[in-house]
Amino acid sequence: MTATMDRRALLTRAALGATGLVAASAMGSLAPETAFAAAQQHPEPGQPDPNFAEGLVTGRNQDLLQVQGSDGRLHRIQLTGVTSVWKLRPTTIDQARIGDGLYARGVLLPDGVLAAESVWLNIVNLTVSITAISKSGVQFDHHGSKVIGHVQPGTTAAAYNGTPAVSDLSMLKVGRHAQVIGAWRPGTNEIDIATIYTSN
Amino acid sequence: MGAQQVAAAQPLLIGLLLLWSSYGKFANADQTERTALPRLVGESRAKAAYRTVGGIEALVALALLLPPALTVEAAAAAVLAAGFTGYLIYAKIVVPEASCGCLSASEKPIGRRAIGRALLLLATAAAAIPASAGWWSAGSAAVVLVPEAAAFVMLSAELDRCWLLPLRRFRIRLSHPLAGTATDKAPLSATQRRLLLSPAYRSVDGLLRSDIRDYWDDEDWRFVSYTARYDGRPATAVFAVPHHESAPESVRVAVVDETSGLTLYRPTVLATAG
Repeated sequence: MTATMDRRALLTRAALGATGLVAASAMGSLAPETAFAAAQQHPEPGQPDPNFAEGLVTGRNQDLLQVQGSDGRLHRIQLTGVTSVWKLRPTTIDQARIGDGLYARGVLLPDGVLAAESVWLNIVNLTVSITAISKSGVQFDHHGSKVIGHVQPGTTAAAYNGTPAVSDLSMLKVGRHAQVIGAWRPGTNEIDIATIYTSN
Repeated sequence: MGAQQVAAAQPLLIGLLLLWSSYGKFANADQTERTALPRLVGESRAKAAYRTVGGIEALVALALLLPPALTVEAAAAAVLAAGFTGYLIYAKIVVPEASCGCLSASEKPIGRRAIGRALLLLATAAAAIPASAGWWSAGSAAVVLVPEAAAFVMLSAELDRCWLLPLRRFRIRLSHPLAGTATDKAPLSATQRRLLLSPAYRSVDGLLRSDIRDYWDDEDWRFVSYTARYDGRPATAVFAVPHHESAPESVRVAVVDETSGLTLYRPTVLATAG
């Protein structure tokens, strides 16, 4: 926890430019070309992207995940201290559990392990219509199937008519179409809602 | 109103239901592929089977609605309803994702309501068998059809949008269950959107290697950090997004080497602004 606080304090000072420690060449231009020069993703045309994996987590040995891809491929995915993990919200690597659905992007190491830079757990993107609203959540119709969407106070947000997301969910209406980004609860037809995009 | 008259009234409801169902099968023949029929009778015969059922429904319906009133008509309806019930239960077990294809275009998989409706149709048809007269002679006993019809409507998922959704909309207009969810705190997705639209993000986009790794609030700012690579070595990109200023230019960024604490990169315009 202290490490996290120290880290945040360091980054806070750096972002605001309040730190005296600036490397000599640190002042760059705003031009995007500088950034593009550093990009280094080279997937082979026509081949599966080697730097990407998806599937269900079937095993976990410390920070090495075993993942069964939906196309039958098996992946080994290494989580590290700098891996970003999304599970309804940005969280920590210990949240990856057996049974979770996973998307991972990273760098394929020579031994076949994917060193993950980003991991998304149980993320779903659904086009639905809202069929009922209650205090605990919203019920959706997803192409004929019922999906229960749970509201997580402090996390669930709504974006109305393309405007920036707000935490106010009181403008949701029964019968409206919506797009929902959320975290699936494995083995159920329930999700936790991260953001719901709809009209009011 | 005697039991005879109640029985006599039933064919009116059954006939109308079967006509509606038959119309649905001819008007929306394309939905055959969503039902269990292609799996049960084969791809090529599914549409023909679907239309045949629709035709039988229409025949039985017209026989029930038009004179003369014969016991065999109600018996035929009962057999048909028993067939529906059996088909639905079988389809639910064999092809659980199939829609029922009962009344009109609906993607909903077969549920308890569809089976309940088929059972209700079976009960209604069975109740009509003892009748010795046609529905036109039922008189005031036809009143029983009103609650029966209401039960059919409530069991029809296809009709939810006509009564259930408006009812729920009305209930929510009275008091919204999620009123009071509004807070002062901006959701992360709103921050992320401002971030993505900022010149600061554009200037380091190619350096970023991960999605959002951490975020926190400190006084007037929200900070969002990403894993990055700078000059071939690992680094952290940290954005500062002001809470109270919405101009895209107000977002700041620094790329930091966390081990040395050194700032590796700050876009100039942003640096001078800061």
